[in-house]
Amino acid sequence: MDGQTRYRRWYRRLLGLYPRPYRERFADSMEQTFTDLCRERAGTEGRGHGAFILWIFTETFAGIIRERATDLARWTMARKATNVFRIVKYLALAIGGLLVAGIATVMVLARGTGEDITGVVAPALLLTLLSVVAAAVAAILQGASDRRRHSAGDDLAG
Amino acid sequence: MASTRTDGPLTPAVLHILLVLSTQERHGYGIMKQVESDSEGKVRMGPGTLYGSIRRMTEAGLIRESDKKIDPNLDDERRVYYGITALGQQTLAAELQRYRQVVAVAHERSLIPKAMGA
Repeated sequence: MDGQTRYRRWYRRLLGLYPRPYRERFADSMEQTFTDLCRERAGTEGRGHGAFILWIFTETFAGIIRERATDLARWTMARKATNVFRIVKYLALAIGGLLVAGIATVMVLARGTGEDITGVVAPALLLTLLSVVAAAVAAILQGASDRRRHSAGDDLAG
Repeated sequence: MASTRTDGPLTPAVLHILLVLSTQERHGYGIMKQVESDSEGKVRMGPGTLYGSIRRMTEAGLIRESDKKIDPNLDDERRVYYGITALGQQTLAAELQRYRQVVAVAHERSLIPKAMGA
């Protein structure tokens, strides 16, 4: 096995350390570029060639760390968003529950008195409906954010 | 969202890639060699910097992937080519305008050595 083939094999292994989506998109092109660079330098084997290969490997390794850090930051942001949506969902459900309890209490207290409670109950029902809608939207967004987080987690693992 | 900002100063790598792609589409190795040539060897980009920048720039909408084509000057392998977008052209123009203003201020204050300014 000649030097070029060996370096190319090592470089392919190094590219395996990139996050999966990045690797799937750019690894072939990067390997092709590496081969081009090696071909260009083929005539200088022994004269700074080792240093050049070392520079490419170091530079690519720095790129791997950058991409991993970016993925980690995205994953952290997605996790924060998931928590915010979860809080909004439970808050909306709690408000909706309190409103239902309030409406029931007013209806019980007003029973038999003949008092018109429509002016109180109607806005409360509207608010309850809005709370339920808010909880549903927050649940959907939480699910989407969770999926993104898992996908980012897979990238971190990949 | 991409981390490449399009409203402020660009990194040297992003600026050089936009400059190279402003005239024609190129593949990764072609970009690398042209950047080296444009900067008279002062800017050297390895594959890690180049493709990291390409990822951020495509996400920011500054450049786009073109079809895979064969470079007749290299080999018969098909390569991904990249081209500049309208947003990329605007961003490059804004950055060059910023440079022009900086140079104008430097001229006003006689900060540019005569040999360079001539």
